[in-house]
Amino acid sequence: MSEFATVSPAGSPPRIRNFPSLAPRLALPLATIAVFAAFSVVSPAFLVPTNVLSILTNNFALQAIIALAMTLAVTSGGIDLSVGTAVDFASFAFVTLVLAGQPVPVAAVAGLGAGLVVGLFNGFLIAVIGISPFLATLGTLFIGRSIQQQLTNGGNPVYLPQTGIPDAFRFLGHGSLFGVPVTLAVAVLLLALFGLYLGRSSFGRTIIAIGTQPVVSRFSGLRVARTVTIAYGLAALVAAIAGILLTATVSVYIPNSGNAFLLNAIGATFIGTTLSPLRRPNIPGTALGVLLLAIVANGLLLSGLNFYWQQVGTGLLIFAVLAFSFLRGR
Amino acid sequence: MSVEAIDLTLDLPQADAPKAQNGGPLAANLLRAGSLLVFALVFLFFSATAPFFLTVGNIGNVIGQSAVLGVLSIGLTLVLVSGGPNVVTGGIDLSLAANAGLSAVVYALIIQAGYSDAVAILGALATGTAIGAVNAIAVVVIGIVPLLSTIAVMNVVAGVDLVLTQNTVIPASSDVLTLLSSGSLFTIPALGIVFILFAIAAALVLQFTPLGLRLYATGEFPEAAKAAGLPVRRLTAFSYVAAGFCGGLAGILSVAYLSGTSTGSGEMLLPVVVTALLGTIFSRRLVPTIPGTVLSTLFVGFLVNGFQLLNLSSTLVSGVQGLLILLVVSATTLLRKEEI
Repeated sequence: MSEFATVSPAGSPPRIRNFPSLAPRLALPLATIAVFAAFSVVSPAFLVPTNVLSILTNNFALQAIIALAMTLAVTSGGIDLSVGTAVDFASFAFVTLVLAGQPVPVAAVAGLGAGLVVGLFNGFLIAVIGISPFLATLGTLFIGRSIQQQLTNGGNPVYLPQTGIPDAFRFLGHGSLFGVPVTLAVAVLLLALFGLYLGRSSFGRTIIAIGTQPVVSRFSGLRVARTVTIAYGLAALVAAIAGILLTATVSVYIPNSGNAFLLNAIGATFIGTTLSPLRRPNIPGTALGVLLLAIVANGLLLSGLNFYWQQVGTGLLIFAVLAFSFLRGR
Repeated sequence: MSVEAIDLTLDLPQADAPKAQNGGPLAANLLRAGSLLVFALVFLFFSATAPFFLTVGNIGNVIGQSAVLGVLSIGLTLVLVSGGPNVVTGGIDLSLAANAGLSAVVYALIIQAGYSDAVAILGALATGTAIGAVNAIAVVVIGIVPLLSTIAVMNVVAGVDLVLTQNTVIPASSDVLTLLSSGSLFTIPALGIVFILFAIAAALVLQFTPLGLRLYATGEFPEAAKAAGLPVRRLTAFSYVAAGFCGGLAGILSVAYLSGTSTGSGEMLLPVVVTALLGTIFSRRLVPTIPGTVLSTLFVGFLVNGFQLLNLSSTLVSGVQGLLILLVVSATTLLRKEEI
């Protein structure tokens, strides 16, 4: 609607905001703290070191990496509905090569490559042909789904036998670095890396500029097509890392399972925008959004509530945070 | 404000009026003719190669099997129309598939509790409409971007569905369900008849009444519609409530089709989105229309059916859908670029 901001409807003067109020920005951090405190009181098993670590490792890490991928796409002014496809493609290539006896590093690189293909395809559709990101990545998602079903005989999982799993594979899934589980370490590293990269590097700022002002960016001589393609490539590459870690954790590739992360990734990214004064996607916001969802999922489970209430609770909470932020932010 | 500033405009010519005036009509006509031609060619191909494809019974079956997807896509079409061409800040309802799932559960539970079909039908339609009303309040009153608010509502609705069913299938049988699932008129199954009648009613309202025109005006240029004195907020709210009603109706149809509820209703979401968006290529101005959505629903139905009859894997269908949407949108975009 912002393109019409100067056209004020008859009778009402255009609203001018000097200072964005702080209240809507606090909704997300306050909700996270409140939920954490509430579960600590309600459930004795919640606030113990092993459970907090479990929240971060099992509920937070993979979803955060995938939400990071989504945030990259949204920052460039688009959306990536095919992050799950990149997760799956990476997972499939990785498992297949490990099964074929290839060394784990080779298989991992192949997995990253398979994920990257998805991103470059998106980038080509969006930047070169000019399709809107929503439709382009939706098309990719559907094609990716078909390809996976074709490759797996209609959607059969590919299992790694329990015996003879290479050590490196086991390390990725269940090992730890200086006492921190590998998946969590990778997630935190990626979030920090891209948080700095987006805000501080000239390329990161180019992505932000294109996402905020695509037309001005083009007239300013920024290489829009190239940057957007790289942004979707990076998003897919990040999602592919999550795919490899996911497979290493569960020792199986389940076709089209990556889509399970899609809606939470979108939710976390856009809840995260409430943290920024200009409602821009930002990586700390995304991370906090994923953390909130992770705490709720884990806490509800420990509170002895029926497993199925989790989704109701998550939905209500997202809704409340959004409603608060949008009501106060007007 | 910059969430709104994210430009995710659907790349269809109506997205920017000045360009459409220069090069729109020819490109649009080419594409529309092209897509109808593709539909006809696919139909002819299956008629020639697949045994029993071109029989009245089979075509009736396809219409019946498309009913649930079709009714949901009609609901989404209404929201797309009133929300305009921008998918993210414009209209979208991601809660529709979950809505149909929950409405189906409500229907089945009411029947199991021993009440009559009339009560169950009212219950299912009221459930769907209520979910639509929540979306309407979230979008119009609170002002949450539809993409987000309907994701949140979808989570809640799917969650309530799980709580009620414990993720199991609830069987249901009743007179109305039997009539819907096994009755037929002129060899078209009753489900298909309901779909056709509902599509005709929706098409009459959307394409031929002042209300329909106002919904289009609201979506394509909200500021102008507001300046012209249209109750823009109320019209937008109406589209979400109407979509919710479609969700309720689709729920009833799915109970009849499956003789019970389904644990996988959420999987319908993306097909519904693709069907409604793909429908725009069957319209003259490349906007969402009810006839376009119905054609696109049937097109997918015939593809699935033809593949099955030819013993081809039906897993190819989603790939074909994806390719089609990309081809169509690429063609629109490239044609438009050339003519400017």
